[in-house]
Amino acid sequence: MRDGDLTSRDVATLPSTCELMEREWAPCRHACPVHADVRGYIEAIAQGRWRDATDLIRDNLPFAVVCGRICHHPCEANCRRRDVDEALAIRELKRFVVELQGAEGATVHKAASQDKARVAVVGAGPAGMSAALDLAKMGYRPTVFEKFPVAGGIPATAVPKYRLPREALQIDIDWICAHGVELATGLEIGKDKTIDDLLAEGFEAVVVAAGLAKSRLLPMPGADHQRVYPALEFLTDVSFDHPVDLGQDVLVVGGGNVAVDAARSAVRLGAGRVRMMCLETPEEMPAYEWEQQEAQEEGIEFIHRRGPIEILLRQGQIVGVKARAVTRVFDENERFDPQYDDSDVIELACDTVIMAIGQAADMGFVEGSSLKQDDRGRLVYDAATQQASLPGVFACGEIVTPPGSAVEACASGQRAAVAVDLFLRGQEIRIDDSLPPEIDCIAEGTAEKVINVSREPVEAVPPQTRLKTFGPIDKTLAQEAALRESRRCMNCGAGAEVLVDKCAACLTCLRVCPFDIPKVTDVARIDSSLCQACGMCIAECPAGAIIARGWDARGLPARIGAALASAASDGHAKIVAFICGHHASAADWRGEREPVAGVAEVYLPSVARLSVSDLLAAFEKGADRVLVVACHEGADRYPQATRRISRRVDQARQLLAEVGLDPDCLRMLELADENREAVHPALVAAAGTLPAG
Amino acid sequence: MIVAERKPFDEILEMLAPYKRVLVLACGGCVTVCLTGGEKQADELASQLRLAARQKGMDLTVESDSITRQCDREFIEDLKTDPGQYDAVLSMACGVGVGFMSELYPETPFLPALNTTFYGANTAPGAWAEYCRGCGDCVLAWTGGICPVARCSKSLINGTCGGTNDGKCEVDSEMDCAWLLIYKRLKELGRLDEYRKIRPPRDHRTDRGRGVRRLVHEEMVELEEEESKA
Repeated sequence: MRDGDLTSRDVATLPSTCELMEREWAPCRHACPVHADVRGYIEAIAQGRWRDATDLIRDNLPFAVVCGRICHHPCEANCRRRDVDEALAIRELKRFVVELQGAEGATVHKAASQDKARVAVVGAGPAGMSAALDLAKMGYRPTVFEKFPVAGGIPATAVPKYRLPREALQIDIDWICAHGVELATGLEIGKDKTIDDLLAEGFEAVVVAAGLAKSRLLPMPGADHQRVYPALEFLTDVSFDHPVDLGQDVLVVGGGNVAVDAARSAVRLGAGRVRMMCLETPEEMPAYEWEQQEAQEEGIEFIHRRGPIEILLRQGQIVGVKARAVTRVFDENERFDPQYDDSDVIELACDTVIMAIGQAADMGFVEGSSLKQDDRGRLVYDAATQQASLPGVFACGEIVTPPGSAVEACASGQRAAVAVDLFLRGQEIRIDDSLPPEIDCIAEGTAEKVINVSREPVEAVPPQTRLKTFGPIDKTLAQEAALRESRRCMNCGAGAEVLVDKCAACLTCLRVCPFDIPKVTDVARIDSSLCQACGMCIAECPAGAIIARGWDARGLPARIGAALASAASDGHAKIVAFICGHHASAADWRGEREPVAGVAEVYLPSVARLSVSDLLAAFEKGADRVLVVACHEGADRYPQATRRISRRVDQARQLLAEVGLDPDCLRMLELADENREAVHPALVAAAGTLPAG
Repeated sequence: MIVAERKPFDEILEMLAPYKRVLVLACGGCVTVCLTGGEKQADELASQLRLAARQKGMDLTVESDSITRQCDREFIEDLKTDPGQYDAVLSMACGVGVGFMSELYPETPFLPALNTTFYGANTAPGAWAEYCRGCGDCVLAWTGGICPVARCSKSLINGTCGGTNDGKCEVDSEMDCAWLLIYKRLKELGRLDEYRKIRPPRDHRTDRGRGVRRLVHEEMVELEEEESKA
């Protein structure tokens, strides 16, 4: 036995083998700041289970729609499919399913009784709303105070609408509020009410999630001109459709994502020329590569390695910016420390300047309270407990963390909710941040054996059309494309696990694995970082010594029984059809298809998982006939699947013949990769021509 | 390892005729490795029996279980079922397992689902061949590693006989003449001197001539047993 070895006794006590998924996490889940069960929800999408997928996403990620649109998707950056062809389009799949479902199509997990302490949350951005949601689920009564008239934080007030339509964002807000989160918008803490007031009013804890609501500015001559806009304030004005006095020649100072948002918004407001000037080279720029590319498509010019020193005015109007050359941006320790060449100064003509050089906290919420700030004006805070300097006051999100994305703010808010709960229950605030280990990279030899499938392209709106409006810049995946894309997921970590007490080291797994992954030493060893979860070895193992983490094979007979019970059988033979669902429509998976009289259709991700026992079990469950509808050779998601299942069907036919049943009661068809128009008549024909049992 | 084949289904059904409640018991040893008597095959046989019972209107309940080896008593602790609670146990083990389990459960009939066929090796995926007969007096040292006891139709120890025919045996034209194989192998090894020696008749007392063969490693006999003897 080695550490981590699993035995049949370990598994017998599990309600489902799927619990074993917690032994190791796929990198997508590991890298996700809220650790959403990516593989789980992608699989649900692949099977047309939209609501399950949405619920799985929302279990960890309250701002599912926001993240479906604007997440920086570390899941995709870490997707192991990158070593095969291209990362799975996880964000696009999330966008597809959560917007399809809306707020109504996601389950609300309301606390049985919401009668615990009242908690005030300052700021209705991703951090504050996530904290409030988790507190509400635990039975607390959170009220979120928001200075803007709408909830959502930066996604509602500054992210351009072309990236995040506000009706989409509202889905997240509505779903969160359905859990008993109370919103008090248009109310600014520190101005209309103080934190001390909140504590005096009976709120037993306060969570500060005020975010980074202000743009940083650079002191320089001309910087106080009215046409020098701080980027966030500019974006907020645009968000709320406030009139903005924008000239025809806009220079955005900054190289981050906010700078790109500002520049692209200026284009849409009708500026004749929009340029971005930043300290960095294209490679050093913090803006995402795709943002840079889209900005360039919209005609935005980039000026690299320049830093502004003066805004030039003539007769009260901005006429340009004087900028010096940058010799370096980062020091040898990669810390931000720009150096300039003052002998190289140019003048860039413009009539409007947008400063997007970074964000700062608006510390206004401190006013009237005894919350402490450090010598640099930052909130005094303990990162481990998330407590500020007053008992019962906590902080989360960008006010205390480095600037990040919405999903990181959600994670911070969720952690704060845990801290608040511990505090209110009078317990020590100690939070275990440890995670299960992450699955390693896929080995080159294995990656080569995985069938390549191209990533589904996202349909972009052409630049000439999109730069005239604040409408979405690209389209949500169509259902068929979403299904194809979701089925590219390699199910990392869902594969085989050997029960060492049962393994006879017979080598069968090694011989049937199409990816050459099992090694047999003392017993069979199947490396979870390589296993592709096809299930081939599970179906063939003579010892019953291999199980899957991602699905519990023990559940199939019950599924067969249920399918038979629900299939109409008015005088027709009872037929079980095991169908490979890799190419099937969502309607097929969901049972929303034209039924074939007397045929119970059981969809599987691949028939590679079907064992001889499963085939016999269908007869035991009452089927008169059984059909295996596989893909044509080569069209299954796994190599060799069709040939393997064909042999199992032959073997099962022999066993049926021994029993005295007509072997022709069990047949295999190869057409699951064709559409329903092909499968349906084949089922009808088979139902009519197979001999009676 | 021991290789076995599944008995014909009808023969199994006939064996079970007197019984109503049957346990199919897999063995996780050799018969699992040769894909005949493992848990998978036990589940399949149990399923077949239930289908046959339904088909023929028999009153028969069939369940299945598995055990690491049916030739060691300690493993029976791991059984999920109690074999003693069944009318009969259909053992998927080799004959050794069937016999040994019968001793452990004297009240319960243990019936063989398999025919134990030979001591063999896995020559290719899904294929096994006989390499040894367990004669108790190994001659492989001077036969180039090819066993004439197991592979010669007459188990000759001085061959070939007159029945060798173009490299095949007179008994079966598909069967290689073991002694020709031995000759060729010894020639390759440069040891035809061994071939030229005439061997005395084999001592059949090491085979089955003296009844049940036993093996005792004195150093491993239980301490308590040693004390009781003293």
